This record gives sequence, C-alpha cells and structure tokens, in this order.
Amino acid sequence: MVRLRIGYPEDPDYGERLAEFEARIARGEKLEPGDWMPAEYRRQLIRMISQHAHSEWVGMLPEGAWIPRAPSIRRKLILLAKVQDEAGHGQYLYHAAETLGVTREEMVEALLSGRAKYSNIFNYPTLTWADVGIIGWLVDGMAIKNQTMLAQCSYGPYSRAMVRICAEETFHHKQGKEAVLLYAKGSRKQRQMVQDALNRWWWPTLMMAGPHDTDSPHTPLLLRWGIKTKTNDQVRQEFLNEHVPELLDAGLIPPDPDLRYDEKTGNWIHGPIPWDEFWKVIQGEGPMNRHRLEARRRAHEEGRWVREALEAHGRRRLAQAAD
Amino acid sequence: MWGTEWPRYEVMKQDTPRSPVQMVGSVHAADPEHALLVARHVFVRRPAAYALFVAPAEAFFHITQEALKDPGGLSPEEGPEEAYWVFAKRSHRRSMVYGDLLGRFLAKGPADAIAQALLQGQGVAFWAVPERLVVGTESTEEVVESWFAPAKEKTYRLQSYYGLITAKGVEDA
Repeated sequence: MVRLRIGYPEDPDYGERLAEFEARIARGEKLEPGDWMPAEYRRQLIRMISQHAHSEWVGMLPEGAWIPRAPSIRRKLILLAKVQDEAGHGQYLYHAAETLGVTREEMVEALLSGRAKYSNIFNYPTLTWADVGIIGWLVDGMAIKNQTMLAQCSYGPYSRAMVRICAEETFHHKQGKEAVLLYAKGSRKQRQMVQDALNRWWWPTLMMAGPHDTDSPHTPLLLRWGIKTKTNDQVRQEFLNEHVPELLDAGLIPPDPDLRYDEKTGNWIHGPIPWDEFWKVIQGEGPMNRHRLEARRRAHEEGRWVREALEAHGRRRLAQAAD
Repeated sequence: MWGTEWPRYEVMKQDTPRSPVQMVGSVHAADPEHALLVARHVFVRRPAAYALFVAPAEAFFHITQEALKDPGGLSPEEGPEEAYWVFAKRSHRRSMVYGDLLGRFLAKGPADAIAQALLQGQGVAFWAVPERLVVGTESTEEVVESWFAPAKEKTYRLQSYYGLITAKGVEDA
C-alpha cells in the first residue's frame, strides 16, 4: 500500500516542497508513487485517471452490442479483439489510480452509484454497423489525440499506461477507418448508412476533447503540473486538421455548414458546438445514460457468484498450501 | 455489498529469456494462481512474454529516491536471513521505465536487501519482496508455449496489419 504523505498548503514545509516538486516537473522528471506531491495534484490525477478507466469499461457496451451482429467473421474477430483491449485499458488505468492511494472498490462504487463521470460519448446509441466504424475512426481518433498528449504526463504510472494504450488504440483507429472507407465507396445504401453515422457522431466526438479552454477551470493547473501537456482546444484542432481532409477525400461531409479551411493558419475551423446538449448529457439526460449504468450494475450483480466462487476456491488453496 | 475487494498482486513480466524481469502493474485476484491468469489477460494480450510472476502487493518494501537521502531510510534489520528480489527504477526521465529486477539477495530484511543492491546498481526507486512469496510460470518450453503462444498467434494484434489506409486505396475486406 502506498504511504500517503501530506501535501496541503497549510503544512509547514509546503512551500519548500512545492518548489522542489515543480523543479522536478520543469526538469521533465516523472513522479512515482511514494514521492511527495501536492494533495491537489493527487486529487486531480485520481479524478482524471478513474474517469478515464470508467470510460474504457462503459465504452465496451456500445461496441460489444455489435459483436453478435458483425457483418463477417473477420469483422467479428476484430471487434472481439478491440472490446477485449478496452477491458485491459480499464485495468491498466485502475491500477495507475490505485498507486495514488484510492482503492479499486471505491472507484467501482463511484461509477455504479452514478457519482463518477465517464466520457459523455458513450451515452449515445450505436444504431447501425457503420456506427462501429465511425467510433473506431473518429471517437478512437480523438481519444488517441488526447492520450498521446497524456503519455507525456508527469505522473509515471499514468504515462506508462497511456503509452501502452496508445499502441493498441492505433489498431482501433485503423480498423475503424478501413471499415468506414469501405462503406464510403460501397453501395448507395452503405454510403447513406455511413454518412448518417457521421452526422450523429460528429458533434459528440468534437465535444470529447472537453469544453473550450475559456470554460475549462482545471486546465491551467493541469498544464502547470505537467498532468496535461496540451489544452482541450489544441487537441480538438489537431483532430480536425487530421480527420477533415480524410473524410472529405472519402466523399463524406461533416454536418457543420460553417466548417472551413483557414489558409492563414492552416487550420480547419468548426462552427459553434452544441454545448447545451453536452451539458444535458453530462447531467444524465443523454439517450443512453440510464441504460449504460444499468448494464454495468447488472454485470456487477450477475458476476457476484463468480467472485464468491473464486474467493472460496482461493481460500481453500491458501489453506491447503499452509497445511 | 462492499468490503469484498480481492487482494492486489504486483505483476512482473519477462519478455524473452534474456530480457530483464520488470514490474509492469498490478491485478486483483483471489489467490496467486488466479493472479497469474488475470495478469496474462491484462499484460500479455499481445506479444511477447517468456515468464510472468506475481507477489502480494503489500509484501513489497518500497523506497523512493527522496527516502534514500534519509540516513535512517535503510536501517539494518534483524530478521531471519532469506532471499529477496530487488527491483530498481533507473531513471525518472522517460515514460517507459519500469522497475527492473536487479537480482536476488540474501538478507535479514528488505531494507538490508536494498542496501546490498545499491552496491551493485543505481536507481531512483527500489522495491524488495521476499522470494518465498513470488509465484511464477515455469520456464519450460511446454509451459511458455501454452501460456504465451496464443497471444502471439492472435489475429489483429498490431496496427501494422492495416498498413497505410487512404480513401483511394482501401482494399476489399
């Protein structure tokens, strides 16, 4: 168990410790469990890492629903590998958060009771197979932009988890892109299906990067302490610059009448993002919020007998070993 | 119903017979055998692996760079002599630096084991765990094959499978 140290501004040596801590970050060093850190650094990391872990676990649901309905055995195998990856990502991340002194049980309880947040994007339904492709290409594409930034994070265990996760997300991104491009040059019905999926996922995907920098209260501190290395708007801009030309090349049109290329800056500029919807979904009013949490609670409840059986088995093995 | 969390096990992975044993993360499990199985699912979904080891997380004695500066940090212990595995993290600079196994040391306690290891190698953080609590996969060909070959054969394991994808060049799938 990690020995928790104090790190509050009212501690007598806080100023001196904070200066040493910030000097380490300025030198590009990684913090490790057990190192002194401000209590606020620890709190922000626990908040971000556990939210991220929950997102991986809830994120298995919209895609998992398509495993039995995948259009070919090849696609089914790909999707199985991908959903299994998301479970693994949740595990790496819960581990990283645990090194900060929070327990797995506390985090799972926060998720199942509805207190903890997870990425808003998973509160939307997957209506057709094209949605699975769009999630792989765009949703995972945005996730990678965010995660490659977090792989530079100043906290060692989070940074290491992110490096591993990015390597696997790149496979998710490529398979999604392949699936979408295939439909984009397919039959009329396939093209309509994939354009419809793009229309529905476009704005939620742009919202994934988080509120605009001017509305993001945590960002300045997170940047100062090297938890984040880019702002929400920077991440969103990188995503647009990479994906818009590729979508247009494929004959797909993002549902934004104001979307334009700015010659001067070389950036793709988007129109107003429907933030009202974002806040509504965050507050639990999205189309799938209730359903997602119920599915997780049900899985937890229905898995109880497995946990109990494994525990009984473990106790017996340990008793036998002790004899 | 809470208060039922399984114990946490640290997971150590060796990629090839010649690579170092590294601390890669932790899993929750009911017993060490279960911990090894969960560790395989979490840390060996893709190649490569030659061996996996687990030990209860609370059995690890951990010391940071900062604590090493404190002269009392590694005070000598007076327990029965036994073997410890000592791990060191070599640098704080790069992302993918794990705790690497420095070796096996006979000592009267974990701090003593780390003090001995310090004579052999530098590090910015150290861990020591009694060898008797470490459970691992055997390094026989049959065991290595049955534990780790399936991940190597797994379809769609790497992004390079897809090569370069463009709107003009997508192949039929």
